[in-house]
Amino acid sequence: MEFCCGKSKRYICHMFAASWGSRIMNPVCSARLGNMDSELDAAIRTSEMCSLCRCGCCKDECPMYAEILEESISPKGRNVLFRALSQGLISPDSKTVRIAYSCLLCKRDEISCSAGLKNAQATEAFRQYLVDHGIPLLSGHNVLVKSLENYRNPWQESKAARKRWAKEFQDRRLVPGKTKTLFYVGCTYALDRSLQESPRALARAMEWFGEDFGLLLDLETCCGSTAKRIGHKRLFDELRGENERRLREAKVHTIVTACSGCYKTLKQDYPELDKEVQILHSTEYLARRIRDHRQELPPVTMKATYHDPCHLGRYAKIYEAPREILGSIPGLTFAEMSSSRELSRCCGGGGGVKTAYPEISLAIAKKRLRDAEATGADALVTACPFCVQSLRAAAEATGSKMEILSLEVLVWRSLSQGGGQRN
Amino acid sequence: MIDRALLEDIKAHLSNALGEQKVLWENADLLPYTKDTFRNPPGEDFRHWPDLVVLPETTAEVQAVVRVAAKHKIPLLPKGGGSNRTGMLVPIYGGIVIDTIKMNHVVEVSVPDLYVTVQPGITLKEVENHLAGYGLALNQEQGSFKVATVGGSISTAGFSRKHQKYGTISDRVMSLEVVLADGSVLRTGPKVLYTSTGYRLHQIFIGAEGTLGVITEATLRVEPLPEAKEVVLGFYDDFWAANEAAQRTMATSVTFVGGEVYELLDGSAWGAPTGKNGVFYVALEGTKGEVEAQVAFMKKIIKETGGVLASEEDAIRLFGKYTEQWCGARARPEIDNCFTTVVPMEKLREYYDRLWNDVMAKQGVLHVPGVKLWLDVGRYRMAGGRYFIPKGGEGWTEYQKAARGQAELATSLGGSISGCHGVGLEHRDYLDLEYSEVALDVMRSIKKSLDPDNIMNPGKMIPSRKRNHH
Repeated sequence: MEFCCGKSKRYICHMFAASWGSRIMNPVCSARLGNMDSELDAAIRTSEMCSLCRCGCCKDECPMYAEILEESISPKGRNVLFRALSQGLISPDSKTVRIAYSCLLCKRDEISCSAGLKNAQATEAFRQYLVDHGIPLLSGHNVLVKSLENYRNPWQESKAARKRWAKEFQDRRLVPGKTKTLFYVGCTYALDRSLQESPRALARAMEWFGEDFGLLLDLETCCGSTAKRIGHKRLFDELRGENERRLREAKVHTIVTACSGCYKTLKQDYPELDKEVQILHSTEYLARRIRDHRQELPPVTMKATYHDPCHLGRYAKIYEAPREILGSIPGLTFAEMSSSRELSRCCGGGGGVKTAYPEISLAIAKKRLRDAEATGADALVTACPFCVQSLRAAAEATGSKMEILSLEVLVWRSLSQGGGQRN
Repeated sequence: MIDRALLEDIKAHLSNALGEQKVLWENADLLPYTKDTFRNPPGEDFRHWPDLVVLPETTAEVQAVVRVAAKHKIPLLPKGGGSNRTGMLVPIYGGIVIDTIKMNHVVEVSVPDLYVTVQPGITLKEVENHLAGYGLALNQEQGSFKVATVGGSISTAGFSRKHQKYGTISDRVMSLEVVLADGSVLRTGPKVLYTSTGYRLHQIFIGAEGTLGVITEATLRVEPLPEAKEVVLGFYDDFWAANEAAQRTMATSVTFVGGEVYELLDGSAWGAPTGKNGVFYVALEGTKGEVEAQVAFMKKIIKETGGVLASEEDAIRLFGKYTEQWCGARARPEIDNCFTTVVPMEKLREYYDRLWNDVMAKQGVLHVPGVKLWLDVGRYRMAGGRYFIPKGGEGWTEYQKAARGQAELATSLGGSISGCHGVGLEHRDYLDLEYSEVALDVMRSIKKSLDPDNIMNPGKMIPSRKRNHH
């Protein structure tokens, strides 16, 4: 294997040129790529493969491309750009940043790619490359980063604010070594007042099922998902380190979280944690508990549809558990949307787009809301705080009468029909 | 490349005419336009750059761009989905790419007259989705159906696997609106399926690869959605055994939508009995009773030709491969290319034998496992295959010799070089294998008459006289 230049043993920049036997010297690329890690290596490889192919199938059903309609705003556009950047052909500029961050990381495109290119992973690495090379973040993302650095949450709230949602659960503070199950709430559910009904509903449901669980309350730290998605690896590693230490000290057997972003991050971006402790999304947890309960739940009369969050669906492939729960509630009629499961359309809330480009995010959310409305359902149920936020914003903007709620809230609505007492 | 000062003037002019957001000139924005899915010589991925890209939304905006280009004799490249295989969209002389992706609206659906009028940048998939709401279908299913646009498909004379019953896009065009090289707007004729007046002007823009004008609107024939759909699929010992069944089917009067014959690498993964790697299927559509009768007829043919009928589920799974395998097909470490040729059926075996054992073998070119023999069954009977481009110093030269050899073989047997992907750059220099110098001169005359300054996608499709005569 030839190397692209003499400064580094990195061969990736011109792997293909080398394979043809022609040697293209490029003094820039290896110097730039000299300190890359495996995720960046994989991204460079993805960008090379995509640059060779350029079929553009990724544009089909790409929510960002559909809104903006520019070739560069697509996985292909990003891959080709990253390829040229990594070759040193062009230098990063504001357009580069726009293209890199105009992605929801929804992975819808990956379903269509027969080559199995991991475009979302490559986009995260592309963003990391920009951050590592001192390219300034978009101003909205900068605010998130500063907040994470100062308060360990992206929403500029104090650490103490994290326990506000849990006034009725203050006695649930986790006792290391004693409590077996941790309910890891996550920043958005804990701090967004409009969403706090969800963690409360899950905590009440866990009590209803007799679960002995604990909370970290103000000691909980952001999982780092936001930092990772916008490419701030140093900050992510810091947060991951803190969390891993704390979670190990907690000595729990199971972590339950209702946030799909936290779930994906803890499960897939903390390489060791999943081997040490069982990590469950609340939909998995509730489906098991409802199954074990073996008795009919109290009824909730409504027609509902379900939106698969990208982090729970395409990333973690959890499609059945939420549907099993919906199917277990008497009186509830379920209607599937025209695009669901792995083909589900993103709500527009992922990948930092909502912060960076709120109008585009809202336009995408409106489309998803229209999908839901087309089913004739009264309620749109989902399992991620970001999806609830985005879809509620769309409902508000369009004057939609559709109720947007999390699955935990729906389950508690059922369980509490009996006065909240276990039958 | 455009002179720098002139480029600044044109940028300002077009930004004013179209709006700043619809004129792109920065490197990051131009990169995706450096090539289509064409196999470039090694290291030339980013060799050819356009000077500008414009994203018009209306015919008037296209006119504004064409007029500026005409005034300054600047090359123009009309672009659709960008998925062309033969380099039709490579900006070899720089210039302005007219990207039609924002021209993606349905203008009119006529249920009684069975047509749809669309802007050129709408994808085939989007047209089908839209028409489904009216109980209609365009019935154009090419591998690139998710990304190929109507304008691109017409300009490439794209294939459709549903060709036997519904024809290809070439058979669907009723009328076109085209912005010509001087900026004038041509309406090729009324939006009727048949007329006995005048030249069929729309026909010269089919497969013209953007060398004659910019298609800005297309009226296409559509059909009511069928009441029933079925796929009948049989497994055979090999390609040739499956082909026997296909030939027999083509010799009957059964109306099928389209079909394929090919060989699977491992048929057992698709429900085939061990060793039965040959596949033959036909798709059937129509009224319920019609399709029931066709299914029974096809099952009988498969039985009589020694085929093993696939389960309905396996048949549907294999049927889905057609468009699925197209996406990402070239994102592999082993660099390959494909051919899509049309040869007379009685010469098919001779063609494949000579192709792999002589033409390709001589250049050290090997087939991609599982894609050695493949036939689209029906009246357009397109034969194809995929091969690895050899690595090493001489690899590219060997590949080019092999590609030309394929063209020589196909045309010597009375066939055509390309039944699907157009000419572009890939086949341009040996188009004289298929067309006489007189025929090429007629093409040049048409080109000269419509585009005297040669600004419309210059250097594509038609070989230059000089090159031909040396």
